Amino acid sequence: MEFIQTIGLLLQRYSSFFADGVRNTLVIAAFSVLLGTLFGVFMAIARMSKIKPRKIIATVYIEFIRGTPLMVQLMFIFYGLPMVGITFPDIAWIPNFSRFAAGIVAMSMNSCAYVAEIIRSGIQAVDKGQMEAARSIGFTYGESMKMVVLPQAVKNILPAFGNEFVTVIKESSIVSVIGIGDLMFRTNDVIAVTYRSLPALAIAALIYFAMTFVSSRLIAAAERKMHHE
Amino acid sequence: MSEVIIEVKNLSKSFGSLEVLHNISTTFQRGEVVSIIGPSGGGKSTFLRCLNLLETPTSGSIFFEGTNLCGKGVDINLHRQKIGMVFQQFNLFNNMNVMKNLTAGPVKIRKMSEAEAQERALALLEKVGLADRSDAFPYQLSGGQKQRIAIVRSFLMEPDVMLFDEPTSALDPEMIGEVLGVMKNLAETGMTMIVVTHEMRFAREVSSRTIFLDQGIIAEDKPSRELFDHPENERLISFLKKVL
Ligand SMILES: Nc1ncnc2c1ncn2[C@@H]1O[C@H](COP(=O)(O)OP(=O)(O)OP(=O)(O)O)[C@@H](O)[C@H]1O
Ligand SMILES: [Mg+2]
Repeated sequence: MEFIQTIGLLLQRYSSFFADGVRNTLVIAAFSVLLGTLFGVFMAIARMSKIKPRKIIATVYIEFIRGTPLMVQLMFIFYGLPMVGITFPDIAWIPNFSRFAAGIVAMSMNSCAYVAEIIRSGIQAVDKGQMEAARSIGFTYGESMKMVVLPQAVKNILPAFGNEFVTVIKESSIVSVIGIGDLMFRTNDVIAVTYRSLPALAIAALIYFAMTFVSSRLIAAAERKMHHE
Repeated sequence: MSEVIIEVKNLSKSFGSLEVLHNISTTFQRGEVVSIIGPSGGGKSTFLRCLNLLETPTSGSIFFEGTNLCGKGVDINLHRQKIGMVFQQFNLFNNMNVMKNLTAGPVKIRKMSEAEAQERALALLEKVGLADRSDAFPYQLSGGQKQRIAIVRSFLMEPDVMLFDEPTSALDPEMIGEVLGVMKNLAETGMTMIVVTHEMRFAREVSSRTIFLDQGIIAEDKPSRELFDHPENERLISFLKKVL
């Protein structure tokens, strides 16, 4: 009972902390998914390319990113890059820009590899006969992809893609270690001030759950709409 | 009178270290209906797929209407419009209804008007008894219906030759007849057809010539009646014993 009261109290008194954290988490997640998808598409194309060097580079990148912890990748970009002279600039009117930039770069580079793999397996799950039939009629590779293969691949890709978005929201909590004021970071602030760690963490968990729940519902709705078309 | 439409010269094809076709040479005349028979794994599909370059020959050449398809700078997409292909698994486009399956090629490639393409498609659907299915999607059709539509789709591109890779092998027995019927009608219109098949009746009665392709070579190649009535090759004789 007291636990619930404490939660209520924290929410009342520190709502601005949590709200700020949610905002930052959403900004990071949205940018990471957006950039990750954009580069993921190109990475998938490179991964399936007939040009050997392209294919090899893409494969190595994807395997390496998927085989190492996001935490290490993040540290590498935030601490490692400045050591070799690559720094993210500070922009006066965006507070903490260089931290955000490092966080978003790390998260997008990570997401890019997963998205590329999702796209590739979605395309390769389409029956090979579909491409062959289109080619045998006289369509080019590109036309066949666009007209026949991709529309079918999207149906395989979308569910996995939704999962990836949810994963990014959750995994983004890791950027708190480089001092970005995301939901996890702000939760720690509240704990530092109040010493009420369990209730504060409970609030964070509920908010994370609300964000992932809402986004997975939205994606599921989008999927249903696709299937009806 | 006869005119060569496809000439195959010293065609070899390997998958890695496995040589599937060994130095095959033959010609196909315009208007001919040729059956290709032989044991599983003998290279029939691979041979057929080399004719429209779905498989790239390891060596040798394919001349189609005088052009070497394996030559440099050949626009294979252009020639594929003239070489129809019908697959064992039908391969109708799953994301399109029947009408779209039929008109996509004529409209997008041949630049036919949508209206004209639909009119032609409908006329042919009528002929194969499927005029009422033009709005259906592939998953709503039986195998026999899908294959008849796949044949129409290929035919609508007005090809000069049509390749068939075991068009009835994935069908339930009661549907084989309807597809063979369509192919027989097609043969009677004078279409050049090369048909890989396990239907010996079709090979013997509809095709004018039959090729026995075995272990990557043409082991026997004769007018159909003669091949079935007087087989000479040892392995052909035992093959025919097994399938007849
Ligand atoms: N893409 C490929 N990669 C590797 N091996 C292949 C490939 N396609 C065919 N083969 C091999 O080539 C040989 C000939 O295959 P092919 O499909 O041409 O035989 P087929 O005469 O059509 O047999 P079936 O009657 O079973 O269809 C087989 O040993 C097959 O395993
Ligand atoms: Mg075969």
